Amino acid sequence: MELFFHYLSLPYLLLGIGFTLEVTALGLVGGLAIGLLLAGMQLGRVPVLAALARGYTVIFRGTPLILQLVFAYDALPHVGLTLTAVAAAGLALSANEAPFVAEILRAGVIGVDAGQILAGQALGMTPRILMRRVIAPQAIRTIVPALGNETVSALKNSSLASVIAVPELTLRSTQLASSTFDFFSIFFASGLMYLLLTGAVSLLQLLAETALDLDRRARRTGIARWRKVAIAALPPASMTPVALEAQPETTPAFPAARKARMTRGASPAGASQAGDTVAVEVRSLHKRYGDQIVLDHVNLDVRPGEVVVLLGRSGSGKSTLLRCINHLEEWDAGIIRVGGRQLGYGEDGRKLSPRDVARERANLGVGMVFQQFNLFAHLTARQNIAGPLRWVHGVPPAEADRRAMALLHRVGLGHRADALPRHLSGGQQQRVAIARALAPNPSVLLLDEPTSALDPELVEEVLAVIKLLAVEDGLTMIISTHQLRFAHDVADRIVFLADGVVKEEGPATEVLTRPRHPLTARFLRVMGAEQAMEMPG
Amino acid sequence: MKRIVIQSTRKAWQAKRKAWSTNTILAALICLSAAIAAPRARAEGAGLAGTADCQALQAKYPMLKGKTLVDALNPHTPGYEALDPEDPSHYIGFDVDLADALGTCLGFKLTYKPVAFAALLPTLQSGQADIVISDIYATSERAKAADFITYSKVFDGVLVAKNNPKHITGINASLCGDTAAENTGFVEVPLVQNLAPVCKSAGKPEPGLQLYDNNADCIQAILAGRADTYINDVNTVDQAVKAYPDQLSKAVAVTLPYSIGIAVPKTKPEFRDAIMAALVAVQKAGVETTLLNKWTLDAGSLEEPKLLTQ
Repeated sequence: MELFFHYLSLPYLLLGIGFTLEVTALGLVGGLAIGLLLAGMQLGRVPVLAALARGYTVIFRGTPLILQLVFAYDALPHVGLTLTAVAAAGLALSANEAPFVAEILRAGVIGVDAGQILAGQALGMTPRILMRRVIAPQAIRTIVPALGNETVSALKNSSLASVIAVPELTLRSTQLASSTFDFFSIFFASGLMYLLLTGAVSLLQLLAETALDLDRRARRTGIARWRKVAIAALPPASMTPVALEAQPETTPAFPAARKARMTRGASPAGASQAGDTVAVEVRSLHKRYGDQIVLDHVNLDVRPGEVVVLLGRSGSGKSTLLRCINHLEEWDAGIIRVGGRQLGYGEDGRKLSPRDVARERANLGVGMVFQQFNLFAHLTARQNIAGPLRWVHGVPPAEADRRAMALLHRVGLGHRADALPRHLSGGQQQRVAIARALAPNPSVLLLDEPTSALDPELVEEVLAVIKLLAVEDGLTMIISTHQLRFAHDVADRIVFLADGVVKEEGPATEVLTRPRHPLTARFLRVMGAEQAMEMPG
Repeated sequence: MKRIVIQSTRKAWQAKRKAWSTNTILAALICLSAAIAAPRARAEGAGLAGTADCQALQAKYPMLKGKTLVDALNPHTPGYEALDPEDPSHYIGFDVDLADALGTCLGFKLTYKPVAFAALLPTLQSGQADIVISDIYATSERAKAADFITYSKVFDGVLVAKNNPKHITGINASLCGDTAAENTGFVEVPLVQNLAPVCKSAGKPEPGLQLYDNNADCIQAILAGRADTYINDVNTVDQAVKAYPDQLSKAVAVTLPYSIGIAVPKTKPEFRDAIMAALVAVQKAGVETTLLNKWTLDAGSLEEPKLLTQ
């Protein structure tokens, strides 16, 4: 026991910890740098780079670290690169850690909900903004435990550097054991030193996890916000959205009322060149997945201020049509114009890069609301709205925040501004998603089955918000839905799709009450029976 | 490159001096390169520099004067090379003193690089070390990788559990069915392996072999009952018995048809010649005999330098 304490406090061994930490730090920093590069190459769009990164991973993950160490130390000098022992160990450990780090990073990125990425794209985020604001912050949270693991593993692996004469803890321990024969006292002492080091890593990991814990943050800001609310003595927050229409703060920067816009014939941003009377123009749009035709030469015109409801069974092409209008999907033939501008092509007639497509979306002002809401899970309701305004449209933070709050009040959720999506009901999430889509003042709002994922009792609150937008703001909307009553209430025109073909279209009441096409009639019968709806006269 | 090594050594020393202060670990962090144990001033070879032989050699090989050479060693052999148990910041032993004497004669200094036994010659070949003086036996096989200048005969000891329960009498048929612990790359490894046909013809199982990386592990293998014997330099064996008198014994000492040699790169014939000439001068001055006595090694093992090259 006395010997154990003697070796535990022996400066010779303690100094070895310095080298252990140095090699570990070099390995982790280098591994993180190379790992980032490898992950980027594999996630990117260039197949050659992805293949190269794969090849690297196969080699360096597939060979023992001890061989890589000896290679860096003893083989590189033969080609004229003589590294010090510590540098060689750092290099080998970096090269070895990199593929593991890359896979951790990749898992983090892949793990981010695809719907959120789609929503970010729909909001006009470039791939870079999307990575920085949506993917990375969420990925980092999920990879912290794995990175903690990897750090501990690298720390222990650094002991292998003893084979290339790095005077770290293990080398010092074995040499000391050879010269003193105090085998167990020495290795228990160095074992405890390793344990303290890895224990410190575990502690750091815990601290990082706590610091990144969204719920903890939400609680904190939530309490702060609650205090402010209490002080300001705002009205109780449980009002329905419709009841909020009288609030003065809800109107700034909204599009002019529908009626006014209709009479002026004006259309919002970007639509000044042509087609003053057409907000969205779809000409002979054709799209197929393999052999299956999804959209078969579809034509559609939507006038400014018009609300068009797309009806049709699942798989009829409604969602695909909406996603094409926002250029979230490519199509095979046909033309789409929004506000008179043709989608997908630059002024020189060339196809756009993903970054340019993102800019195009931001400029054209096509908002989109998804069936699954797709709120950014790491951001509060308010941030979900204000964030994209700042990142995509360059709105100053204070202004973005003001607008976010105004919109949240508008959809009846002013009191939930600092709640995370996971703490909101489905209906509340969808109302936030609508507010988010409205924030940049879109010229057209696309809603893709906005109530399909909701429990029946939550459907009404969302429909109420949409009706409000249609009636009061005169927003141009294209909505795919199964809710016939809602369609009747909100739609100016109904377009019925089946197998990618527009089978019938016309004024809402007419299509709903006197369908001409047998498929429309059958659809209405089935849906009508399900929803037990009573159609007026 | 050399300069960097020297500077970092100095830093390591500075760090060591502070070692007991509160910022021990912090000091360790600033050590940027291998902290190589610096040799203590040694008395035995101190007079060499003034001898006529060494003076002449320094005039003949001026390129070595003032240099700091890197000596790769496998510091797991107490008596030849191991950490000083009293002060683990430097290496001690016969080989370390001999290297120091050669340096004194030719005017160079030494730093030491600790590597696994099997890595001694690769380290030399890659240029990560200039010389290997580490109780390594000069065999024709090894002479393919480096030139050897021999300086001592080889006597091996057979380390066994207390009172030799398996009745092992050397590297012979008495090993059949027993297990030997050896270090990777040791000459004893093929000698034990070559017993297989002998044992087979005697109708006995061949000897088992466990390969480790250093003496400590081989000795532990016997202490733990995993191996029956460890055959290595007799001095190492004696030290082990001294450390564990209740658990270990030396069965017997055997002579092997080898010499211990200094390994130098094949690509530097002039350096080789300088070391060989310096070794002659060291022996002539009686320093090697003094060192053998100092480390209680058998004085009869002294051997005139011979060159082994392939």
